[in-house]
Amino acid sequence: MARRAPASPAMDPGSRQLVLLATAANLLPLLLQLPRVLGVGFGATAILVTWLSWRRTLPALLRVLLGIGVIGAVAFVSPGIGRDTACAVLAAMLALKPSETLSLRDGRSLIGFGLFAPFATFLLDQGPISLALALLAVLLSLVALQALASTEAGIVPERSAPRWQTHAGILQLLALGLPLALAAFWLFPRLPKPIWGLPDRVIARPGLSDSMSPGAWQDLLTDDTPAARVQFFGAAPAQSEMYWRGPVLWNFDGRTWHQDKWLRRVPAAELSPAGPGWDYQIDLEPTEGQQLVALDLPTRVPANADISIDFSVYAREPLNNVTRWRMQSAPPVAAEPSLPPMLRQLALRLPTGYNPRTLALAGQWRRDAGSDAAGRADAAISNRALSMIRAEFAYTLNVPLAGRNEVDDFLFDRKQGYCEHFSSAYVVLMRAAGIPARVVTGYAGGYRNPIGGYWLVLNSDAHAWAEIWLPSRGWVRVDPTAAVAPERIYDTLADRQPGRIGAFDGLVPMFNASDWLRRGWNDYVLGFNAQRQLQLLQPLGLGQLGARGLILLFAALAALSLGWMAWLISRGERERDPLLRAWHRLGIRYAKLGRGRHPHEPAQAWAHRTGADVPRNGEPLRSLSQRFSDARYADPRSDQVRALLHALKLHRP
Amino acid sequence: MVAALRHRIEGWMRPRQPEPLPAQLNRRRIYILPTATGLFFGLLLGTMGLGALNFNNNPALLLALLLAGAAQASLFGAHLQLSGLTVGAVAADPVPAGQPLHLKIALSANDQRVRRGLRVSHGDAATHASFDSQGTTVELALPTEHRGWLPLPRLQLSTVQPLGLARAWAYAWPQQSALVYPAPEAQAPPLPAPLGEQGRAQVTRAGDDVHHLRAYRPGDAPRTVAWKASARRDSLLVREYEQHRSDQLTLDWALTGGLPYEQRIRRLARWIDDAEREGRRYALRLPGQPLISMGLGSVHRHRCLRALALLPGEATHG
Repeated sequence: MARRAPASPAMDPGSRQLVLLATAANLLPLLLQLPRVLGVGFGATAILVTWLSWRRTLPALLRVLLGIGVIGAVAFVSPGIGRDTACAVLAAMLALKPSETLSLRDGRSLIGFGLFAPFATFLLDQGPISLALALLAVLLSLVALQALASTEAGIVPERSAPRWQTHAGILQLLALGLPLALAAFWLFPRLPKPIWGLPDRVIARPGLSDSMSPGAWQDLLTDDTPAARVQFFGAAPAQSEMYWRGPVLWNFDGRTWHQDKWLRRVPAAELSPAGPGWDYQIDLEPTEGQQLVALDLPTRVPANADISIDFSVYAREPLNNVTRWRMQSAPPVAAEPSLPPMLRQLALRLPTGYNPRTLALAGQWRRDAGSDAAGRADAAISNRALSMIRAEFAYTLNVPLAGRNEVDDFLFDRKQGYCEHFSSAYVVLMRAAGIPARVVTGYAGGYRNPIGGYWLVLNSDAHAWAEIWLPSRGWVRVDPTAAVAPERIYDTLADRQPGRIGAFDGLVPMFNASDWLRRGWNDYVLGFNAQRQLQLLQPLGLGQLGARGLILLFAALAALSLGWMAWLISRGERERDPLLRAWHRLGIRYAKLGRGRHPHEPAQAWAHRTGADVPRNGEPLRSLSQRFSDARYADPRSDQVRALLHALKLHRP
Repeated sequence: MVAALRHRIEGWMRPRQPEPLPAQLNRRRIYILPTATGLFFGLLLGTMGLGALNFNNNPALLLALLLAGAAQASLFGAHLQLSGLTVGAVAADPVPAGQPLHLKIALSANDQRVRRGLRVSHGDAATHASFDSQGTTVELALPTEHRGWLPLPRLQLSTVQPLGLARAWAYAWPQQSALVYPAPEAQAPPLPAPLGEQGRAQVTRAGDDVHHLRAYRPGDAPRTVAWKASARRDSLLVREYEQHRSDQLTLDWALTGGLPYEQRIRRLARWIDDAEREGRRYALRLPGQPLISMGLGSVHRHRCLRALALLPGEATHG
């Protein structure tokens, strides 16, 4: 590794500590976003490597082995190529780099590459905590750079004087650069669409997906991170009516429910709403997918989203950032009152050879109920299933692993489970009885934050319910879980309130406030895009500016902030003493007429010489110079100085 | 090619000719360019900003812009380190040719700004200074080659503060020249035999044997005061020493006949130093110049060496 030029001097211990501290600060936000094993592992590796190599670099062989080790760890924890893997590799490199950082140049390149870590963090998470940590890292990096520059300039840090005074200069630099940065942030033309896409993650975040295996949601249902925040304009539905519709699952293979890829492309038929409907705005957390969540059933969505035939809403671009959607929903009179044969077939299909007992039970029920064109028998079968569930079943998150005939096990032996089991078993039962049915996943309920008056939907609100198709009524929502444990679904249990720990609810106001702040953050910081940029300019009458106008405006503001810096500079050059400054200006006025003071000439001598040449002004000039000399050499009163300043400013040759 | 271009560009920079001191650095003569680190940083920030814009990743963009703003401000910071700086005066004690000339440069500023890590340099010679409103004096060791007047070079004042991302520099070009004495000859014969009458003692203030005491006159060195005797008399008394006239010698240009021109000068310079070391009074006779009469001590030595240093070059003198 012939990497170090002999010319670069070594870092002094103080600078080296600062460089390592800055690297640690750079690394920290990234480590927090990696899988916990990798985060903790790399952190420990970094500390160990730093400690081992404090006196001398580690042997090359050991470094190579360590490198192979960490790459192996990344490949083991998240196999594949994605942006989280790339971030993990970056973190690993940064963790190992201190083992060979001795010279000034090493230090600088470590700081430079280290700054990539906060940026990589933002590819994984854009929360305020990440930004706060990143800001701290940037601050420390600049401090370290300053220390390196001082080392280069041969400044020996004095032990007595605190270094914080010099570090305060960094804050000053940031403050100076702030107007320029904000102007650019606000006005620099944004891309309406990315030029190249964001690589996917290898390890998906917990959340709704295009498939559902009963028993697999335990992690999701205990994940108290937000999934969406909703602001209603006008009336909000009752909490028990808040079904946030996500992926609709049609295909069952005996173990897992899947979305039907083809149906996604088929647009929905026009709905006839039964009521006034709800107008709302939903801020979705990034999911990497295109699936949107909308209140049951969506009637109007923005132009960059589509409603498919099963009333799922899809965005046209993957949701990599927090996104905002203005939508309208309404309870329908009848959703798809006539079912096309193909869909009917799809909604009745069951895998062969699974769950024989369930199929037998459904067949029994169908024989008992008979069949009619109006669908009364179908409704009776559904009610029979619900009353069976209500009477014999219990809600629990504690579910053993699924066997081959999962629905049979659940319906006849275990009789315990959660929404995934209930909805899956119910739909299988209905299909077996000849009733078209499908599983709908999404969220149910929500928490109304009294601060801001918006609804918060958490990942733990994830829910699965069912829809059956009844003649003339169309698709009807049936929630078998609600028959068992309505309080679990609609968040009406007090201990499900966010921010509450057991019976202690003292932290709830704090939770409310922090979530409200986070919502503001999402709104103002993360949601700022090309569209919002133009909206911001509209009140100024600049709505029709276009990209060229934006650049011009940005250039103007940038020039203004650069001018501000330049003004600070010229202030640095000017004379501090106002009296002397006024006197110099007076001299300049005379110098323009060729009567300037020679450098060696005392003030009074000049005044006498010049005063003789300009008879009209001679006397005032002489008296001014006398007063000026007095003020310079004596200790004048402040009102005298003020009067003299005034007189000096008014005097013209 | 590159060197020629560089030389040309440096020729354009202000000041283009020597100037009288004090010289204040202002924005017209301060130059600033990013360092290699700065370029590396610019590339880094460009990459980050582009990525952030592409993904519409606002925190990343904010951070990149903040860094860019700070980097931009650091350019101004570097400028401010120099701006308002005054090179008040330069001075140097004469040194023999070949030895580094310790040029003292007085720096000050009319503001309260703390200036750290200011680099004063010329060619390979460099020194660093840090100061606040009090000002400071730095010493720069300039190489010397020839005796005579050394026109002071254009001095570079530069700084990479505050972040090392940019180097700001300015030049100061003092009009003065520094005097360089001839280098004393390394292997020289001993001092020539004294001339003229011998044995008569003469009273001087320097010497070894106490002759008598006399009243203090302004200008007498404190070490010659006889404190004990003064205490008894209530007025200051000074010891006078006697020294033998035999120590007197005249260093004549003619004594060095037969040597090359510059070597004659160097030998005389060496003899002057030898005489000083041995404490012998000496006079110096140079061609076409009045005799520098007998004397001893620092002032006399400098007078003699200066005369030697300023002898015209060989080409004009045969």
